[in-house]
Amino acid sequence: MEMDESFKPISLEARNSMKSSHPGKMIKVKTITKETIVIQLTMIILAISTLYGFFTFDYKDIVFIESVVSALQSVKIMLFEPHLQHFTFGEAIFQVMVTLGLAFLTTLFGAVIALFLGLLAARNLSTRFVSNLIKGCVAFIRAVPTVLWVLIFSVAAGLGSVAAVIGMTFHSVGYLIKAFSEAFEELDKGVIEALRASGANWWQIVFQAVLPSCVTYLISWTFLRFEINFAVAVGMGAAAGAGGIGYDMFMASGFYFDLREVGLITYFILAFAIVLEILAGRIKRKLKSR
Amino acid sequence: MLLELRQVSKQYGMNTKALSDIDFSVKEGEFVSIIGPSGAGKSTLLRCINRMIEASNGEIIFDGANVLGSNKKELKMIRRKIGMIFQHYNLVNRLSVIENVLHGRLGYKSTIAGVLGLYQEEEKEQAVKLLQILGLEDQIYKRADQLSGGQKQRVGIARALIQSPKMLLCDEPIASLDPNASKIIMDHLRSISTKMGITILINLHQVEVALKYSDRIIGVNQGRVVYNGSPDDLTEEQIHNIYGSEVGELILDLGGKHAG
Repeated sequence: MEMDESFKPISLEARNSMKSSHPGKMIKVKTITKETIVIQLTMIILAISTLYGFFTFDYKDIVFIESVVSALQSVKIMLFEPHLQHFTFGEAIFQVMVTLGLAFLTTLFGAVIALFLGLLAARNLSTRFVSNLIKGCVAFIRAVPTVLWVLIFSVAAGLGSVAAVIGMTFHSVGYLIKAFSEAFEELDKGVIEALRASGANWWQIVFQAVLPSCVTYLISWTFLRFEINFAVAVGMGAAAGAGGIGYDMFMASGFYFDLREVGLITYFILAFAIVLEILAGRIKRKLKSR
Repeated sequence: MLLELRQVSKQYGMNTKALSDIDFSVKEGEFVSIIGPSGAGKSTLLRCINRMIEASNGEIIFDGANVLGSNKKELKMIRRKIGMIFQHYNLVNRLSVIENVLHGRLGYKSTIAGVLGLYQEEEKEQAVKLLQILGLEDQIYKRADQLSGGQKQRVGIARALIQSPKMLLCDEPIASLDPNASKIIMDHLRSISTKMGITILINLHQVEVALKYSDRIIGVNQGRVVYNGSPDDLTEEQIHNIYGSEVGELILDLGGKHAG
């Protein structure tokens, strides 16, 4: 009994003191820092502006549900009811070949030019000044999109295939010089030193050591650019009148409003893109196993 | 004298001296080892001789030719008379063994022939013969990256020998090899010196190896020659002087000193 008496006041006191130091507060797990505040504020502002946007759009007479349904219907027509109206199957194949030709030509030109300029741009094979000069120019060329280059050259050559070839080559050169020169720079500098010490000159070192060591990289980069150029060539057909399947697509959609034909052309491009992809994969695998 | 260095210095920047007033000469057919701590300037010294690194001052005479004053064409003539062997072999990994060996002939070829890799029949025969001498006759058409370290180094030696050099510069040729392969490489280098009469100037880390194989030892410390003499006269004290260490601090076994 005595013990109880003496115990109670103490425990009560303790409880009271705890209450006073944490008045009704729970322990926090997350700490509030500047970052969390900024992140949460950003999220809230984005959410509010999104909602505000939806309410204040100019919807004209479009009803949301209806328009979604009709859009899906268009996609359905495009993908499930493809047909040819304004040209034959053979002509379509021919047009894809034209597009492929545009991609092939620009990649080939680009690769040949980039091979030599890439050697001069590689730090280990060139002087610092020449390397920096080329790398600077190349950075500028790459910063401007391919389409813009085509349009720039169309000032002199007129819209059409000539402007497309020059413009696409230009951008391919810029892209491949960077890729190639970086491949060359990967080369062990001891190998170059060894050949230099035996009296070999620059050209001999390039062809006997640098190119044999880097050839797989060069080919796989060139193929990657070929794939990119195929996609660009489709776009150029429409945007710059360079001909090929891209131009047919432009006519089918923007001139005839024929969704079914657009669908068929899409399938054509897809098929060729897949074939290219498989081919590239095979060549790369073969090169790696060599 | 085949090679003579007079007051050769190499300075990086304003006050970093890699080499200062190096003076020594090498006779024809001599096997000379350069020993010294890492960063003493051994590699720089070797590379100044064939001007892979430009010396700042001094005079280098190789086979009667002034190396530092030579123009591009003369330098090429000098370089092809000097074979070079490296710690990391420096082979073109994607090419075959024989192609790598034939690279040693590039200094003798016109640009076009070298670019296209057109080698004469005698050159190919010599390449095969050298590979046989070095025990690589079964690896002739293997790719260089399929070889072991010791085999790669032997390809490196063959590539240097096909230059018909008067001298070999060897930069730590056994530093990345196991003791077995190291012995094979050193034995080959020794017999190249003895049988073919080719001068060998070699950088080494292993003092015992230097003592065992060389006719003469040059000790380098902080860019200066601190010892130049026969291995028999090299005392333990002088080794410590070369390496800048106290007696008893180094792992040394001088027991095999006179074994070679």
